[in-house]
Amino acid sequence: MSSDNRGAQIDHARLDALRRGRGAVQEHVIDELVAGNLSRRDFIRRGTMMGLSIPVLGGILEAYSSPAAASTSRRVASSVLRASAPRQGGTITAGLLAPTGSINPLTINDEGGLELLGNVGEFLVFIDQQNRYHPWLATSWSANANATVWTFKIRQGVKFNNGAPMTVDDVVYSFKTQCNPKGVANALSVFGGTLLPEGVVKVDDTTVAFHLTQADGGFLDAVTEDNYNMIIVPNGYDYANYEKDFIGTGRFIVKSYTPGVGAVLARNPHYWGTKAVPAEVQLTFYAEESAMTSALEAGSIDCMDQFSVAVSPQLLTGGFNVISLKASTHRELSMRNDLHPFTSKYVRQAIAYTLDRPAIVHALFKGQAQVGNDSPFAPVFPQTVGPPAVPQRKKDLALAKKLLAKGGVPRGFKTPFVTEQVQEMPAFAQIVAQSAKAIGVDIALTVEAQNKYYGSAVFGKSDWLDGEMSLVDYGARSVPNVFLEAPLQSINAKTGQGSWNAARFNDPRYNTLSKQYIAAVDLSVQRRLAKQIELLLLDETPIIYAYFYNYLSATQKNVKGVYPTAQGQFFLWNASKS
Amino acid sequence: MSRMGAEALTVPPAPSSPKAAPEGAAGAIDVSAKRIRREHLGQLLKSWSFRIGGAVLLFWIVCAIFGQAISPYGPLDQNLLLVNAGPSGAHWFGTDSLGRDVLSRVIVGSRDILVIAPIATLLGTALGAAVGLVQGYFGGVVDNLVGRVVEAVLALPVIIVAFLFVVAAGPSTSTLIIVIGVVFALLISRTVRTAVLQERELDYVAAARLRDESSVHIMFVEILPNVLGPIVVEFTVRLGYAIFTVATLSFLGFGVQPPTPDWGADIAANSGYLAAGYWWETLFPALAIASLVVAVNLVSDSIEAVVNQ
Repeated sequence: MSSDNRGAQIDHARLDALRRGRGAVQEHVIDELVAGNLSRRDFIRRGTMMGLSIPVLGGILEAYSSPAAASTSRRVASSVLRASAPRQGGTITAGLLAPTGSINPLTINDEGGLELLGNVGEFLVFIDQQNRYHPWLATSWSANANATVWTFKIRQGVKFNNGAPMTVDDVVYSFKTQCNPKGVANALSVFGGTLLPEGVVKVDDTTVAFHLTQADGGFLDAVTEDNYNMIIVPNGYDYANYEKDFIGTGRFIVKSYTPGVGAVLARNPHYWGTKAVPAEVQLTFYAEESAMTSALEAGSIDCMDQFSVAVSPQLLTGGFNVISLKASTHRELSMRNDLHPFTSKYVRQAIAYTLDRPAIVHALFKGQAQVGNDSPFAPVFPQTVGPPAVPQRKKDLALAKKLLAKGGVPRGFKTPFVTEQVQEMPAFAQIVAQSAKAIGVDIALTVEAQNKYYGSAVFGKSDWLDGEMSLVDYGARSVPNVFLEAPLQSINAKTGQGSWNAARFNDPRYNTLSKQYIAAVDLSVQRRLAKQIELLLLDETPIIYAYFYNYLSATQKNVKGVYPTAQGQFFLWNASKS
Repeated sequence: MSRMGAEALTVPPAPSSPKAAPEGAAGAIDVSAKRIRREHLGQLLKSWSFRIGGAVLLFWIVCAIFGQAISPYGPLDQNLLLVNAGPSGAHWFGTDSLGRDVLSRVIVGSRDILVIAPIATLLGTALGAAVGLVQGYFGGVVDNLVGRVVEAVLALPVIIVAFLFVVAAGPSTSTLIIVIGVVFALLISRTVRTAVLQERELDYVAAARLRDESSVHIMFVEILPNVLGPIVVEFTVRLGYAIFTVATLSFLGFGVQPPTPDWGADIAANSGYLAAGYWWETLFPALAIASLVVAVNLVSDSIEAVVNQ
């Protein structure tokens, strides 16, 4: 039970009135709040996810509790989607990492590209920095009881930036194209195994329904900007032409675009809602972070999309506004569960017990990270149980040596360890090697360029997936589903399950639990399953999760309204300079 | 050398060359060669540039051999609670991003570069001398054929050629030695070829042919000793370049793997922190490379000056 719900004053008559007409899933969320199983914050998050509108959420909180809670809901209502009124106009200059390929909503998969896309196109639902869901091109949504059908009401009166109206047909076309398994869509990494084109159904002129191939309590995330490819384009649109017209419904239009150099965005005169604050945004592309940081330091740009402590620690010294978002971004240190001596869970545990996680967070991130507990349940996820119910793993060399002996290698062993040349990863790998040395494990480290490390990204042709010990990077997600599936579920070549299982972890108990978790709609059920998964992974330790680090963006001191998300978006429509 | 005395009777005198000994007696030539070597050594030892260069070089060789014993800390020892600490009494060169002592890493980091660069240069010199001898001695089609191949490879910058080879073969100490050795061999072969072209026209080579000596014998026993001067100079000059090449490849991530201390790799790993003000992590390994290259060049210039007298 969350502490902030204790002693709540409930106006049952009003609450009953607000419950009337809600679906079973929405009613359950309200019940969870009243039962004290959800904090107000989690109630807002879960409520928006399950389609309760902000006014309804506010009403429920007012009926349930104190004025303070109601003001929370009002703050939510004044979301980032509403551009702030003051200081309209002006030009914002922003640095982005250079898009690595052509800007095509179907295929784009890099940070710079998706950031440009996110300022020009729009999604059905907006997920904010606190992982709360807000209406965007969809005005409301709901899921059936087992989360296999999700229904969305589409906003009316929206126009594309060429002046044409947006309709449900455009929404249906966009989704059918992006989830077509015969196509080349990057979004298949999200929709694969969950949504097929025939599952995208136009219900009427204002409603679209998604019939999933399997229950997915976290499907809403797939229609937000987290699934960055999923902007809405006109029915029948040829995605290959995107760089010619940059079609979208967003607050900006593209005035000019030069690949590898930059782009100029202007306020969209056809925008359906509150228009962007800056009249113009000048985007400059940088090949690498250090150059972008130098540009910010020199005052050449007003803001930069992302920086890392490893490359740009000077930005943390106080001269800039730093936007630090707790995130699920992490590294996964896989140990081949099918190869001696990592076949023994005790050996895997021993390696994990050598790591001083708070010291690692201090050294590598200057505190801009949270320690991990050898499961992908990051502290930022509301489903995460964590300590004390799931004990936090700490450095214990004596225990590590005992475990090594129990695992059959009391004198240690030699093993190769491969990783990629990305941000702090080589440094972390060296910490692992030096830490393991304390218990007699001799790790021979190889640091490779990222493309060599990934190889073909399939088993047998990838140092990442084939190495005895392998350290790989994972970006942030709003829900842990991807982290629970590809790297941890048993490998099944026919279905594609476990396609990133570098550890070759193969545990039927885990497969069942993770599938139950993904299908679960109810937060309390998810938490119960999460606890079991956390405990199981802590015991088996197929992968070491040492930390989850914050997503960092920086602006000049006089810049306000820049809105990054931990999943890599960089929204500039509210940006202004004083 | 044993036949050189007989040949020298017909060779025009050239004061600094062994083949130019004034008299025909073998003993006299040996004595003369020893005397010349002694003179050269004496001249070198009198040279300030040689002394300074040699002292610095000797210092790094001592570090390479006894690094672990004389460094104040273990070069791999991490202190995660004392990262990026500036120079102090406890850490003269400060600590790096993993809390390792920079001075200790600089001292021990001399080992790889001082193993790889000289061996690679030696390999390159041996290969280059052999190729240059063949080209220069045979001339004609062989010279043209090998010459075009060499020119084709050298049309690209040396570092790019080495980079391509290392990428293809995968980074390792032996790969670095072979790649740098082969690339430098091509450069050295051109110098040796030029020297051999002059030598092969001399009478002592003609005399050897008249005696029906094999080509291998003439190249490696008759001509080689007479082109040793330029080869030695090439070796010392190329050694400086080899140090730079090793450091550059390490900087690019194609040298020894972390956490092994290595100047180039440490500069690459820490250069990102320069803008943050952590200058010591980059400056000291860079100074180490610079001092070693300057030292080798001082020694090489001194040798070249003496040989060319």
